[in-house]
Amino acid sequence: MNRFNPDMTGEPAVELNAVSLRYDTADEVLSDVNIRLRPGSFTFLTGASGAGKSSLLKLIYLAHAPTRGEVRLFGQSTGMLKRRQLSALRRRIGVVFQDFRLLEHLTSFENVALPLRVLGQKPEQYRDEVADLLRWVGLGERMHALPQSLSGGEQQRLSIARALINKPNLLVADEPTGNVDPEMGKRIFRLFVELNRRLNTTIIIATHDLGLIREFEAPVLRLQHGLIVQDVEHQPA
Amino acid sequence: MPKPTPLLPESDAREAALFFVVAALCFLAVLATLTARGTYTAARAWSAQVEGEMTVRLSDTDRRGAEEAATIIRGMSGVRSADVLSQEDLERLLEPSFGPGGIPAGVPMPLLIAVETAPNSVTTALAITNALTAQGFNAVAESHADYAAEARSALGTLRVAAIGIVVLLTATAIAVIAFATHAALLARKDIVDVLHLAGAEDRFIAQLFERRFWTLGLKAGAAGSVAALAATALIIFSAQSSASQNQLLPQLSLDFWDLVILAVTPIAAGLAARLAAGGTVNHALKAVL
Repeated sequence: MNRFNPDMTGEPAVELNAVSLRYDTADEVLSDVNIRLRPGSFTFLTGASGAGKSSLLKLIYLAHAPTRGEVRLFGQSTGMLKRRQLSALRRRIGVVFQDFRLLEHLTSFENVALPLRVLGQKPEQYRDEVADLLRWVGLGERMHALPQSLSGGEQQRLSIARALINKPNLLVADEPTGNVDPEMGKRIFRLFVELNRRLNTTIIIATHDLGLIREFEAPVLRLQHGLIVQDVEHQPA
Repeated sequence: MPKPTPLLPESDAREAALFFVVAALCFLAVLATLTARGTYTAARAWSAQVEGEMTVRLSDTDRRGAEEAATIIRGMSGVRSADVLSQEDLERLLEPSFGPGGIPAGVPMPLLIAVETAPNSVTTALAITNALTAQGFNAVAESHADYAAEARSALGTLRVAAIGIVVLLTATAIAVIAFATHAALLARKDIVDVLHLAGAEDRFIAQLFERRFWTLGLKAGAAGSVAALAATALIIFSAQSSASQNQLLPQLSLDFWDLVILAVTPIAAGLAARLAAGGTVNHALKAVL
């Protein structure tokens, strides 16, 4: 059973009801997807390349709207929300990408502080918090380094720190270990597990690294040609 | 704690090119405005000067007859002065046509009387012609205001054209800035995406671009204004160095309002740049979720 101890009583953190997604006039990349992620759950999303993993995550972190169906986050239906409300909802979601998406002209410290600057906080307000988080991901000594001077693993840990600085309720990671070596991959996953246990953050990670999935024993959502073929709640790993 | 690095990277080559374009457009706009204003001011001063001036041409009479005609004119209501022009006056008047050698012998020259009337005088050129004709003179009086009216009409057209040029240059500047902002937005899409996903509202992202382009517009406008000021000063200097041009454009100088235009242009350029950038970014952001 799910050893990550989700809250089974409250509203799902993520709920997709009969969701389909189509880009322009192309075929549907997701068809009639139904999933529910409980608050505090830890879920893997897997499937072959082109199965629709990234598209599904984009719906969850509000980068796209579904062509059909409903996306609900933290009990709120996102379809009718105003732009300001969507922005507020995005602040409750941390996103980690395979290609890190760090801002090259900002230091490690400034990259992590970015979501707090968006909120209008001043450096004096977030200095200690950012430094603590950088130390937690093992970058305490690289605070003033620019991203291009960091290794792939360091850049990924930096992007994780940026995703976590707002203490998100939901962390979405799209192939977070795709650009790092296996050892660093495990280290990054341990960070996610620790985060899930310490802060009860709901986590969904897209990966095709079956070794890591086996090692961490979390439930798996499997996508195939845009369809969910293995459901998290009914077939836990 | 050091000052945070701006979220948008420092300007690049594209912005340098945009700076030049905005500065050049501001330079042309200011120059067009100053030229239009200067010309209009000079024309208005010249019109005011010739208002109430007339010239009476007398044929078939001698200088004594001309003096009698001048006396008749002086007796008319509202006439301030009526003076028969001497041969020297005539030669000076016609020097641009005949040169410094004077009027060639044998050229039939009428006698001229320069008349000046009080403002709002009822005595018209026609009234003077009629009065002199009634006394047996072969005389024709012409009001200088007739020429001034034609000049005013031509200058009015020039002014409308200048306003059109300024409007066109302003619209071009705004369009160029909007285009450049769009390009900058595409070039900085990575930053915009990260900010967007970090929960930044459209306003926050738009303000980054607005601030960047406000500064650029302000600096480019200032550069254009200073260049236009230098060009205007050069034109004035050249005009004042040349006696003939000095006579043609006696009022060509920078006044308070010209300086206001020079001072306001950078602010207007900055505001236009800011508005264009803000509108472009907001429009682009609305296209994404």
